[in-house]
Amino acid sequence: MVDEKIRVLMSKPGIDGHWRGGIVVSRALRDAGMELIFGGFQNVEQCVASAIQEDVDVIGLSIHSGAHFAYTKRLIDLLEEKGVKDQIMILVGGVIPARDFSELKAIGVANVYGPGTFTRDIVDFIKENLKK
Amino acid sequence: MKRNYDIETLISNFKNKDKRALSRLISIIENHPEKAADIFKNFGNIKHDSYIVGITGSPGVGKSTLTGAISKKLLDEGKSVGIISVDPTSPFSGGAFLGDRVRMTDVSLHPNIFIRSLASRGYRGGISRAVLDITLLYEAFGMDFILIETVGVGQSEFEIYNLAYTIVVVLVPGYGDSIQMQKAGIIEIGDIYDVNKKDLGGDDVAAHVDMMLDDSTFQSGWRPPIVQTNAHTGEGVDELMENIYEHKEHLELSEVLRERKKNRFAYKVRELLYKKIDNVLVSLISQDEINEISTAAIDHKFQIYDAVHDLFSNVKFERKKND
Repeated sequence: MVDEKIRVLMSKPGIDGHWRGGIVVSRALRDAGMELIFGGFQNVEQCVASAIQEDVDVIGLSIHSGAHFAYTKRLIDLLEEKGVKDQIMILVGGVIPARDFSELKAIGVANVYGPGTFTRDIVDFIKENLKK
Repeated sequence: MKRNYDIETLISNFKNKDKRALSRLISIIENHPEKAADIFKNFGNIKHDSYIVGITGSPGVGKSTLTGAISKKLLDEGKSVGIISVDPTSPFSGGAFLGDRVRMTDVSLHPNIFIRSLASRGYRGGISRAVLDITLLYEAFGMDFILIETVGVGQSEFEIYNLAYTIVVVLVPGYGDSIQMQKAGIIEIGDIYDVNKKDLGGDDVAAHVDMMLDDSTFQSGWRPPIVQTNAHTGEGVDELMENIYEHKEHLELSEVLRERKKNRFAYKVRELLYKKIDNVLVSLISQDEINEISTAAIDHKFQIYDAVHDLFSNVKFERKKND
């Protein structure tokens, strides 16, 4: 019997208090049949430790502070250092200016979701791209 | 993006205390229970020395925060801790929102801790099917303590009783009156009762538990103590820890611990057996047949007892004896 579930860690690096987006997306992923581990406020080290111990397929970063480059770069470096970067898809969501999308993707983020995103697009993206 | 599941490499990394390997082995056991046998072949000489504490209670009573607080004390004492936290799987989507770990962020970076969140995946009784196997992996990893936090339970989910040596039942102010305490089930299984959220009161709940215990008999000679905590601030957690250690000592001295350890494996043997029988049963009746019987029943031909009886009238289970 195979009972594989997509596991996603939802993390809020830093302490900007905007929880709603991360919660809405988490709920959508739950309702799409995924196992969502809600990390809440985590620094980058805590996020990576959680991702490893929970053996997640995806890390979702919910960032509304404007510090998306700083956090994402540190996260990717640390995942690389721990030897798991190639095994985990990184998604970033929140108040991210559209002009920053391509640079985030260039440093290793699989996709970026700003305000107005349909949650089903996130679900579809994860399901399609994890198969590859 | 998908993963290397080479069990041999994982086992050898696991033996070098690689948490990534531990984590991946847990996933394999969770997703492919049939591979557990292959994995545990490599751990024939596991010592079952880890002390297993179960933390159970209704949703929102503070189990995760308390688990975090207990593990902090254990880590401060130099102990290593493996945590298993279970949350429910949705019966509708099959998904889950695992929100226990978020209460344990304070301890999550300590080198001697490993925290794993599990979804119940349809398993009943407040845990998930993989829990026992994961405790075995933690034992093989050399954890001093294993804390199992159940799903937020109702009255009758107490499978944890089969898996842990010390059970902490967590209650909160407003839990219920003395009638509630007389009911069978979850309120019976505590080795320690903790009335959490002390800042909101709870003296009455503690008194009701105490009276309930007055009406109980304790064959093992252990009368469960009652502790009041505020898991959030850590108040009362030292006393809770003392009680856990005392209960541990009681079990060790009275040799009940050996019984509880045996009980874990008896439970697993039964479960493996049920699983095999379950597979046989599924092969005996198809979903179409179940559908046919149920449809007949709502169409005023209520014969479900006869239908099932007829279906099995020619089936005989027999265990072949070896010559």
